[in-house]
Amino acid sequence: MDQSQHTLRKIIHIDMDAFYASVEQRDHPEYRGRPIVVGGAPDRRGVVATASYEARKFGIRSAMSSRKAQQLCPEVLFVVPRFDVYKTVSRQIRDIFHRYTDVIEPLSLDEAFLDVTSDKQGIGSALEIAGLIRKAIREELQLTASAGVSVNKFVAKIASDMNKPDGLTFIGPSRVVAFMEQLPVEKFFGVGRVTAEKMKRMGLFTGADLKRLSEEELIRHFGKSGGFYYRMVRGIDNRPVQPHREIKSVASEDTFERDLDQPEDLDRELEKIAGRVVQRLQRYELKGRTITLKVKFGDFKQLTRNQSYPQPVSDYDTILDAARTLLQRLDLEGRKIRLLGISLSHFEAPGSGPEKPGATQQLTLF
Amino acid sequence: MHFIVSSTSLLKNLQLVGGIISANVVLPILEDFLFELDGNTLTLTGGDMETMIKVQMEIQRELTDTDDNARTGRICIPSKILLEYLKNLPEQPVHFTINKDDSSIEISSNTGKYKIGGEKADEYPKEPQPNDATSFTLPSLRLGEAINKSLFATSTDTLRPAMTGVYFELAQDGITFVATDAHRLVKLTRNDISCPEEGGIIVPRKPLQQLKNIIPSDESPLEVSYNSSHLFIQNNKIRLSCRLIEGKFPPYKAVIPADNPFNLTINRADLISSLRRVSIFANKSTSQVVFDIVGNTVNISAQDIDFSYEGKEQLSCQYTGDDMKIAFNAKLLIEMLNNMEGEEIRLELSMPSRAGIFRPVEKTGNEDLLMLLMPLMVGV
Repeated sequence: MDQSQHTLRKIIHIDMDAFYASVEQRDHPEYRGRPIVVGGAPDRRGVVATASYEARKFGIRSAMSSRKAQQLCPEVLFVVPRFDVYKTVSRQIRDIFHRYTDVIEPLSLDEAFLDVTSDKQGIGSALEIAGLIRKAIREELQLTASAGVSVNKFVAKIASDMNKPDGLTFIGPSRVVAFMEQLPVEKFFGVGRVTAEKMKRMGLFTGADLKRLSEEELIRHFGKSGGFYYRMVRGIDNRPVQPHREIKSVASEDTFERDLDQPEDLDRELEKIAGRVVQRLQRYELKGRTITLKVKFGDFKQLTRNQSYPQPVSDYDTILDAARTLLQRLDLEGRKIRLLGISLSHFEAPGSGPEKPGATQQLTLF
Repeated sequence: MHFIVSSTSLLKNLQLVGGIISANVVLPILEDFLFELDGNTLTLTGGDMETMIKVQMEIQRELTDTDDNARTGRICIPSKILLEYLKNLPEQPVHFTINKDDSSIEISSNTGKYKIGGEKADEYPKEPQPNDATSFTLPSLRLGEAINKSLFATSTDTLRPAMTGVYFELAQDGITFVATDAHRLVKLTRNDISCPEEGGIIVPRKPLQQLKNIIPSDESPLEVSYNSSHLFIQNNKIRLSCRLIEGKFPPYKAVIPADNPFNLTINRADLISSLRRVSIFANKSTSQVVFDIVGNTVNISAQDIDFSYEGKEQLSCQYTGDDMKIAFNAKLLIEMLNNMEGEEIRLELSMPSRAGIFRPVEKTGNEDLLMLLMPLMVGV
């Protein structure tokens, strides 16, 4: 840990505020001030990709089915996504980043990590750079971004979310440990609803509570993730900002409050999970050829089954149908299921020409 | 200038030359027919920027009409209004009287009197002349067949102009017609027709399209001449001249596999109807159908994952070769098979990534027809 003090990094996490919706409101003045949802229409089993802040007031969230969104707010306006536009804007944002550093790890079109430990312009202050980037995005692109500045990716990402929208949060090295100690456990990366409840039953509510446990104890209770929590809560996250990180798979999974064995319960869970996978695919603009279903049984035994398609897919119905079929093929033998997960891999970027792998290609003579 | 002509016979002849006419903003006069009267012969012309089609017809004349000045002359008449009028006229003699001073046309028939403003013929483009031309003759039907079997395979990609026409490869021992859009290729060789000099010309799509509609489907002779810039085709009634496509036709011989060792023989009509049904279930953008050939059966299947569509059929065939799975674009394949003749066709294959060659099993006369289709590949 002493060594990490010497090589203190400066990491910025930039997260665009309601990106797709904001772009639409910027380009269409008539959408401004109105609850809008970018995503599929409710009559076509679509999913919310992004909800404007006006829509979020009604409880509309990303990955929610568009039908649910319409129930929550009947006057919500559904806008067909224009991914090519978002892509262009994303590139413009990235150009702004590049004025300060080339160590950029995009997480999606609207989110990225920047390592400005040594910035191009010799500004030196990560906080100042984050401010300049936000200013440039506001003035040049008429959009707002929230930024988190800290010494590692984990803290920077949590920080960017703290004063959203249009916020800037700085967790300096001297405050990282205290920050982590007060952080509610559900904010930790990888802690979902079920794990959070388990922690709370154990009397673990904040980072400080986690810190009281030894690494062995954490691993015993929470498996591999335990080791991760142990380091995180001490402010140790040495994961580098990787400019060329390639996304290999997009997944979502859910551990249930109680183990399930009724087909209709399992089906309802699959629908939710498929919705989240589709939403993430849209964020990353990916289409995949292999759908994998992950099943963990009550006895913690786990298996995966997958299905591949000749053409890449990304739509809700195909993914849900594939997951259903894979689940039906399993012989459950009355076993109860603790967790279900769906992931998509073997990606191909949409809109790429037939020369890209995965696509059907008409061979030519000349 | 004055003449009398049968309304239906005029309409029929105008339709022969009128197919090439289209809206033309560059040269609006090309939206007209050119009428040229010389004694009892009326020559009608229609054209566009590249092509000109002329047809001759005999006209009747009133015995009292002896004025020489009335027996010759040229005038441009707007095509659309004239065709529309003639289509609505029952068969009867129609009198045309042209006032040379103001280029107005007066038409009178049993039904009434009509007037159209025309244009001076001098402004109509001149017909190209066959200077330094090479000539040969062939039966009209042969050319019609060759166009029918090859034209569909031409490309519409204007960035590669050489492929937007049919290549005529001319030689003393035969003439070969080749068309390709880089995905498929048609090669038709006839050794019962020939040209005294070796040569190669690329004839654009549009005049060929017209030509196949206007040349007679019989053995009557057509005279074909060409020089470095133009093609001329005529018989005793019709004359077409068109500009040739400049440029080099792609090296088609190099891409035709010399030896595809696996042979599949199948009933053509059965295959077409099966493909029509199965392709309904194929992905609309790729039209992909898969041939899974096992022994003497071919399983034809298609699917569209996005909509959960799936179609499968099994056909029996005669097959010699290794079991193989190969995918084609059904639309292209159906079009090809429709442009073939004969009850059975032979598909020659080598690998799922190599061209499939389609031929009719029975050779028709002196015709050697080969069609080639590149497969679809699902990348990994």
